[in-house]
Amino acid sequence: MYFPALLYPCILGMLSLVHGIPVHPDRLKNMVKLQADTIILRIKDHNEKLKLYPKLLIGDPELYPEVPADRHIQGLGSIMDTLTIFQKVLQRLPKGHVSQIRSDLSTLLGYLKERTTSMHCILKEPANGRSLDAFLEENATHHITLGYLALDRLKQFMQKLIVNLDQLKSC
Amino acid sequence: MTRFIMLALLVNFITISQGLSALSPSDGQGGVYEDLKWKALLCCELPFAQTLDGGLSEPPPVGQCQLLNATKPEFSNTSPTLFGNCLDILCWLEGERTNLICNAKSHRAAAATSLLNIRPQLVVQMNVRSDEIMSTGSHAAQCAGEETVMCSVSLHGNDATVLLTISITLNETTALSPKMQVSTHHLRRPDAPVNLHYNVTTEGEVIFRWSDTQPDSYAVNYEIRYSSNSSLQQWEMVKVKGRSWVPLNDLSSAIRYTVQVRCQSHFSYWSEWSQPFYFTLDVSYIPAEVFTAPGSEVTVSAVFHNRSWSASKAVWMLNGQVKIPESHYRVINEQVSAVTVTVDEPGFDTLMCCHQWGERFKCFIAYAKIYTQGMFNADITCQSKNSEEDTMRCEWNKSTWAQVRLLYSSRRYTMCETISEMEGSEEAEESMSLVKECPSGPGDHRECTLRNLSMFSCYKIWLEVEGGRGKVRSFPVYVAPIDVVKPSSPTDLEATTLPNKTLSVSWKRPNLPVYDMQYELRFVALRGMANTQWKVMGPLLEPNAEILLEESCVQFNVEVRCRRLNGSGYWSDWSMSYTSVVYNRKAPEMGPDFWRIIQEDPLRNVTNTNVTLIIKQPILAGDPYSCVEGLVFEHQASGRAVWSNETTLVQFHSFQWRKEAHTVTVMSRNALGISTRNRNITLFHQPKRRVVRSFSVVANASCVHLSWSLLPDHPVPQSFVIEWLDLNKDPEQDMSLIERLQWVRVQSTARDLSLCRRFYGSEEFTLYPVFVDGEGEPVRYTATRGNPAAYILLLIIAFLSMVLFVTLLISQNQMRKLMWKDVPNPNNCSWAKGMDFRQIDTMENLFPHSEGLTACPLLLVSESICEVEIIEKPHPVTLEHEKDNVVLTYNSGDKTTTSSALLADSSEPLSLEASTAAPTPETSGQSSVTYSTILLSDQPSLLRKQQESLSSSSDEGNFSANNSDISGSFPGGLWDLENHVCSDSANPRHSSSYNSVEEFSDTSDQDYEASENTGVAKDLYYLEVNEEEDEDEEEIKETQGEQEKNEIVVRVDARPLLESKDSTSVDSNNISHSIPLYLPQFRTECINPP
Repeated sequence: MYFPALLYPCILGMLSLVHGIPVHPDRLKNMVKLQADTIILRIKDHNEKLKLYPKLLIGDPELYPEVPADRHIQGLGSIMDTLTIFQKVLQRLPKGHVSQIRSDLSTLLGYLKERTTSMHCILKEPANGRSLDAFLEENATHHITLGYLALDRLKQFMQKLIVNLDQLKSC
Repeated sequence: MTRFIMLALLVNFITISQGLSALSPSDGQGGVYEDLKWKALLCCELPFAQTLDGGLSEPPPVGQCQLLNATKPEFSNTSPTLFGNCLDILCWLEGERTNLICNAKSHRAAAATSLLNIRPQLVVQMNVRSDEIMSTGSHAAQCAGEETVMCSVSLHGNDATVLLTISITLNETTALSPKMQVSTHHLRRPDAPVNLHYNVTTEGEVIFRWSDTQPDSYAVNYEIRYSSNSSLQQWEMVKVKGRSWVPLNDLSSAIRYTVQVRCQSHFSYWSEWSQPFYFTLDVSYIPAEVFTAPGSEVTVSAVFHNRSWSASKAVWMLNGQVKIPESHYRVINEQVSAVTVTVDEPGFDTLMCCHQWGERFKCFIAYAKIYTQGMFNADITCQSKNSEEDTMRCEWNKSTWAQVRLLYSSRRYTMCETISEMEGSEEAEESMSLVKECPSGPGDHRECTLRNLSMFSCYKIWLEVEGGRGKVRSFPVYVAPIDVVKPSSPTDLEATTLPNKTLSVSWKRPNLPVYDMQYELRFVALRGMANTQWKVMGPLLEPNAEILLEESCVQFNVEVRCRRLNGSGYWSDWSMSYTSVVYNRKAPEMGPDFWRIIQEDPLRNVTNTNVTLIIKQPILAGDPYSCVEGLVFEHQASGRAVWSNETTLVQFHSFQWRKEAHTVTVMSRNALGISTRNRNITLFHQPKRRVVRSFSVVANASCVHLSWSLLPDHPVPQSFVIEWLDLNKDPEQDMSLIERLQWVRVQSTARDLSLCRRFYGSEEFTLYPVFVDGEGEPVRYTATRGNPAAYILLLIIAFLSMVLFVTLLISQNQMRKLMWKDVPNPNNCSWAKGMDFRQIDTMENLFPHSEGLTACPLLLVSESICEVEIIEKPHPVTLEHEKDNVVLTYNSGDKTTTSSALLADSSEPLSLEASTAAPTPETSGQSSVTYSTILLSDQPSLLRKQQESLSSSSDEGNFSANNSDISGSFPGGLWDLENHVCSDSANPRHSSSYNSVEEFSDTSDQDYEASENTGVAKDLYYLEVNEEEDEDEEEIKETQGEQEKNEIVVRVDARPLLESKDSTSVDSNNISHSIPLYLPQFRTECINPP
């Protein structure tokens, strides 16, 4: 007589699982790695086209802290946080060559967001939202160097992400 | 009573009217602004209306109102009557300039209500006056009430001046207030300043500036605050009076600051803080943007806000790519650097000031922008597509740093050539339509697709650099889309391979554009042709073509493209590839030849075996009207049904064989049927018949010859198959066994076969007799040609042997030189004086002592053949004999001295240095002979200081039976008779060989002549001369000069030969013919007589 009472929660639980079937972690890792490699390649291509003087060092790592440089990766949350900042920066760059990189990054963020949802991770608001806006506002007119700096740091983060794909398994 | 009241009011009115006239506000406002409110006190005289006797009514009296100072109503106490008709008026703003609300309230309500019980009727009229509202029409509100009335008028979010009028009616008497003005601007806080920003002076001073929201602002004071803390907990405040800028000099670099400013109005109202302004000081450019003309000089300064950066280390970069030479720099002060450049071409450039940091240049994000007015070349090229929606895609080049926008305009009904000729004229500009922009907008684009075009209009297309105020742009291009069409690819492509070796192709052109087309066709064979590259044919004017082929029955992949026939345009893309159809009239007659590979996995005990059929390529087509298009594999296993597989022209076909009798027939097919004459193969697992008696394979450099014979009285096979593995194909390079296996079918009558191709000689050949009902027992044989490596090894060994042999020869010559360096020439010896050795036949002729000349066989290695007697000579002779610092000196006048007597006690080799003074040939005949054995030292030498009575001599070298090279070393004149004075004699019995350190040498003519001068010619036996002697002689010649300077080093036998009684002087006249004499081929160098 207790079977129906137990059956309904089980069915509901199964339905909820079906609804939120997560992407297999290994498959996600492969996908993220592919996308990260693609982004790295596109960034290299983009920055090489600038043909900057080889000795130029635009933006020390200690400068412009609004754009993450060498940020530590600790789980999905930190990855999402950092990528969101980069996406924000790219959105402020003019249309053109970075459009494809922006699209790639957006896709990558979409996958990670799905993963975050399926893992029931709680994301925090980016801490430096205001200063990032201010930074972007201040440097909006210098889109070439801003783009170069941001893409270079994004490339470094992608490289770091590739070797820390296991961090995708935790929030 | 009534009259009394009227009188009192009249008195009061007169009194008050005089006072009010002085208090009336000159600006008509009549109120005060306080606490964001407008206040006024309105007092009115309201006479009572009177009714005359007789029922006639008088016109109602008109009251008068005056405004009092609402903040100081001093008359209120003194004029209680008037006070009783006063109104408190209060206005304020509702919301953010949404409504103005005014409230009028009668004082009488509190004081005199009880007295007269009459309530004044109030009417408030509000009229809004503002520029915005005036333009849209007047805006007003009217409100009425008793004693108190509140009225509101909408402001629509704008500041305005509201005219306020109040009428008060009491006891049928109406009084109208003067017009009052309420400025809503004063009823609110002032707006916060806007446009907060900063400038940097060339001295590095940072000045912040801002603007008021309205030009007629009443702001008089400002406050600016800034914080470097992100949490905004600590603010630095600066007060500013009377100006809207302030320098801030205590700012640090690389810190993000937040700055705000606010203002204070005349009424001491402080505005809200302005929107925060964020900034970071790193490097500032003055000016940040430059507009210039080509060829003009541009000077830009950069201020380093980082105090640790020095302007002297500034590095200026042009467009981030080119370092500007330092000669263009100028140091303004410690923090400010300036650069002057000249930009020659119109366009957009950037200047970036970096700081040298070791080998690198540290730069910030900021850079200065230079807009050089004019037109630059952007290489705009367009390509249009004429289809359902006409589009045109344009590409261009631009500076990497520039943001651009693509603009275009069109002109209908005019040719592009005409417009371009009109370029620059007003007519041309006016004729163009409105300028449109690429849908992508400004950005970093390098291409844009324009849509909905008119193909026959002319479009003017150009770029504009964003921020260049429209004055920095590219040269325009005029394009008619119809001239740059890239048409769609041809469609409905069909191709047929005809029996007459012709490929017939047809296609359909695109409908648009409608102009005439030309075509290009390319094709490639699917098989059977070595060259698999596309062959291109064209231009073709018709949508069909026929191509002559080298062979029939071959399928081709065909593609076509098109472009405009006359005029400009682009080639379309190649069409979809189409595979030609082979035309046939009948089915193939014969099936292909094939062989099989049976692959068993020895590790797996399975019943199935993988069999792969190898189809002989190319498949013979036979009749061109019956081309083979595919194959049919028909299987028939024992006890099972027949099944078949239909394939294309494959090279391999695999199936599983269950170790049972299995017959496979391979048939050719085409669209009209399958072949009738086919070959089959039967696989069975039973023991096979042995019919081959012998099978041999012989390989040479280029061919392999196979031969076999059959056992008698056995059935003759249907054919033979010979298979082998192709060793040329590397099995590690994905070459499977199937692809490496080679085979050939031989007729049953053949008993041998020559295969000429590249073989390594180690292939294993297998001969399969094939019968109608299966295969016979195969025979294997490995080609007999040796491994090439063995030949190489053999060659190496032979070469090494040669080297060893030559080395031995050379070493032997060296040994010979060492051993026979200074064997003296017998002609130089005293005993040979006057002899002609060529005529000496026997030892008896040479040595008259018969008992001693019988010892010819004594010419052995270890034996001495020369006896030397040293005879005392009258000439002074000095012989320095050095050995271990011992010098032996022989003085002239002494008796005959036996050197061996001195040397006998010495067991060590002895170096002998002879100093000779002008020996003469005559002295040789008087020499006495002593015997000694002298061995060569390492460095033989001969000194010409040889006295006539003392000479070193040598009769013999190291002779042995195997030492033929020594015996024949001196062809011709062997002995150097050049004025040598020697005293030699030979006694075979008591001879002791000694070797002088004389050098071998050729016998020169001069020597020969000298020998003739010494005496009568004699017959002489020479040893045989071999080929190696020439080399030796050459070496001797080379070293002769050196050895003339060398000392004589002799090794003396310990035997005291000088005491021998058999020693005798040689008489040249005593010639014996009985004993042939082998003369040693060595010589001594003697000193010519003076």
